[in-house]
Amino acid sequence: MDTLTNWRERLISKTTRPTLVTTYKYWLWLSFLVVIAGNGVFQYWKQWQDGLYVTDMRDRISWGLYITAFVFFIGISHAGTLISAILRASKASWRAPITRIAEFITAVSLLVGASFVVIDMGRPERIFNVYLHGRWQSPIMWDVMAITTYLTASVIYLYAPMIPDLGLYRDRLADKVGAVRNFIYRTLALDWNGTPTQLRLLGKAITIMMLIIIPIAVSVHTVVSWIFAMTLRSGWNTSIFGVLFVAGAIFSGVATLILVMAVLRRIYHWEEYLTQKHFLYLGYLLAAFGAFMVYINLNEYLTEGFNLEEAGVFAFRQLFLEDFAVMFWFYIIGGLLGPIVLMLIPKTRTIAGVVAAAILVDIAMFIERYFIVVTGLRVPLMPYEPASYSPTFVEWSVFVAGLAFFCLLLTVAIKIFPMLAVWEMTEEHEAAIAGTRAKEALMAGAEVVGSATSTERSPDPGRPAEGGSS
Amino acid sequence: MTDRHIGFSARITISILTMLTMVMMATPAFAADIAIAVGAPERVSIGQDVEVKAVLSEDGVPVEGAEVALTYQASLAGESARVEIAWGTTDATGTAVMIYEQRADDNGEMQVVYLGPGADPVQPYVFTIAVESDGPQLYQIEAGVTIPFINGTLVITVISTVWFLIALAAIYLVRVGRAGRLASEAPTTEDGSMWISTALATAAVITAIGMVIVFVRSPVSNTHIKDPHSYDRTPIAYVGVDFSYVGFGLDDESAAQTGDPIADGSVLYFKYGCAACHGLSGQGAVVGTPLVDEIGSFGSFSEDIREGPKGMPGYDDATISEENLQRIHAYLKDGD
Ligand code: HEC
Repeated sequence: MDTLTNWRERLISKTTRPTLVTTYKYWLWLSFLVVIAGNGVFQYWKQWQDGLYVTDMRDRISWGLYITAFVFFIGISHAGTLISAILRASKASWRAPITRIAEFITAVSLLVGASFVVIDMGRPERIFNVYLHGRWQSPIMWDVMAITTYLTASVIYLYAPMIPDLGLYRDRLADKVGAVRNFIYRTLALDWNGTPTQLRLLGKAITIMMLIIIPIAVSVHTVVSWIFAMTLRSGWNTSIFGVLFVAGAIFSGVATLILVMAVLRRIYHWEEYLTQKHFLYLGYLLAAFGAFMVYINLNEYLTEGFNLEEAGVFAFRQLFLEDFAVMFWFYIIGGLLGPIVLMLIPKTRTIAGVVAAAILVDIAMFIERYFIVVTGLRVPLMPYEPASYSPTFVEWSVFVAGLAFFCLLLTVAIKIFPMLAVWEMTEEHEAAIAGTRAKEALMAGAEVVGSATSTERSPDPGRPAEGGSS
Repeated sequence: MTDRHIGFSARITISILTMLTMVMMATPAFAADIAIAVGAPERVSIGQDVEVKAVLSEDGVPVEGAEVALTYQASLAGESARVEIAWGTTDATGTAVMIYEQRADDNGEMQVVYLGPGADPVQPYVFTIAVESDGPQLYQIEAGVTIPFINGTLVITVISTVWFLIALAAIYLVRVGRAGRLASEAPTTEDGSMWISTALATAAVITAIGMVIVFVRSPVSNTHIKDPHSYDRTPIAYVGVDFSYVGFGLDDESAAQTGDPIADGSVLYFKYGCAACHGLSGQGAVVGTPLVDEIGSFGSFSEDIREGPKGMPGYDDATISEENLQRIHAYLKDGD
């Protein structure tokens, strides 16, 4: 039988593999991303020079692809919160292998998302006016506040549980990686030795962050929705927007997590850790949130459609029947009902099925963000011709560059940081083995004395001692 | 025959009447002799409904049915204009009662002006009303509903608590590093690795304090009513205050026929929409760059206008004649 030490060594070698082995494919992928991102930077430079004129945003439709991207990426960032914090708080043991990936997605997509706000500004150097002359009566200020808080908190929340694994990397990889990474491990590992005091203190830090990051995350996407909902625009000024945004954020966050997991699993052969079970559980989450989203939409459009106000007629027509109808119905049928159907049919209840559902969800949620931003602004407030908007090449380039940056940051991170939470996974594995042994022992009628695993405990500092908080 | 005769005398009569009418219209009409007297309180306070009575008479006889308006000198974001704030029609005693709500802390020079009937000028009645200035500068009707404890202090408390917890977590990380150094005889890093978490904690604390400062400071940093400088950053207009348009017809070229190139240029500067992008007096605005102090020779100026640099529309000479362009140039040059 597989001993715990063996299991752990295998896990470590699998986890460190991306850090140690780099193939030409990696460089190919990296340069591909750099080219895409580079084009975005170049196009943005043009926008910097010529002003927002190079976009198709004008006086009437003054928010477009950039704000869509902002909302979309901030939404994705909820992956880490849900998977990591909520599941950690509720002690769902299956979460261990996927928490780290989810937390990385959170930090990275927050960075990308927040930059789209600045990209959307015609005079980006004025961003500091928010701090110098901000007024908290303005929803934009709430947003700045919420996102700054969330970014700080999620970086700490990503970092804290990673410290023991960084300690492991520091010890194991000292003579296998270059000076830069050695320096990073040495510094970031905070002299981690796994002493009881350290475990206790780290446990405290993680618990605090885990508990506050949940309300922070919920507040962030609620506040993002308020930027829209605090106006008097038809289609925006609804109290359900906060719920719609938060649910949609978690929805797309889970979908993105599934996609990143699928890619990493395939490239680095992490089949043992990222099992079908993980994909299915996340798939069920997708289906559940899909159903919730259907409910929110039903609730929203039925109330608004029943007491139809004048502007609502236009909003409904363009969404359900005219300009945006194809997008809208794809969102409802493909993006919300699709995952449910895929999870209901036994034949598609597979990893491939879950990945397909995740792709549908991500596309649909992007579309949803887009039509929320654009259709709302398109509704005429006075009897003038409704404006039209179609993103220009510059806008698409910058948006695609945003996606590329998202991948790029993850791609670089994987060469440096442990993407699997070795520490937590070992802990869970120990608990699981202890559980089965105890069961076996009971079956045999023997007395269970002490911890079944204590004999196998190694003095490795990267290992958690008993009482390690999680 | 008689027919023709009657026709002839009728024609003479009509001619005489026409001439008489023309003579009457040419002479200053009755309106010019109208006198306006005004009764108004000397002192008012902000928020008060102020009643102003105007009595119109012509040679001692009350004028009935005349329309009058009450105006004051309003200034907003550096612009100053005469604003009508109340209107009235005189009754049989020649009295019109006008009521307005005192909002500014200084009305400047107030006037009761005659609006009609008749288009002839009537000397407006000029007066002032002193305003108690110990209240807020702008009177605002109490907006919304005030709920005890649901206020900025609550918001700041919540934000501070969250940031306190973030900083606390960061401080625990500092202690993790310290515990590690104490535990190992030979610390892995010579200079210790506490600095990274210390930096993190410091950054969290500074951000925390900073964010709270931004929020606490917010009423002061912008539209601070006691500080005209910050007040002027954002022009505010209140719904319900009528800013009557005081200006000239933008398309009215006749206003640009004074013969003075600078005065004419200022009109043309509006007429061709330059002001929309470059600001009311060429000081620069969101789209256009400042023009004052930037105007060079007419040659290069004209080239700029005809071509339209960097997103500015070009104006060919069918749109702006060379002569008009020279006048705009003179006006802008004068602002230097
Ligand atoms: C649609 C907005 C717009 C209008 C209308 C407009 N301008 Fe401009 N103007 C601009 C912009 C934008 C620039 C280029 C600013 C820059 O250099 O970045 C410019 C540049 C100029 C310059 C060159 C300034 C310099 O030294 O760089 C002059 C002179 C000028 N405008 C004068 C005028 C005059 C006179 C009119 C009216 C006939 C006018 N503009 C109307 C937007 C406008």
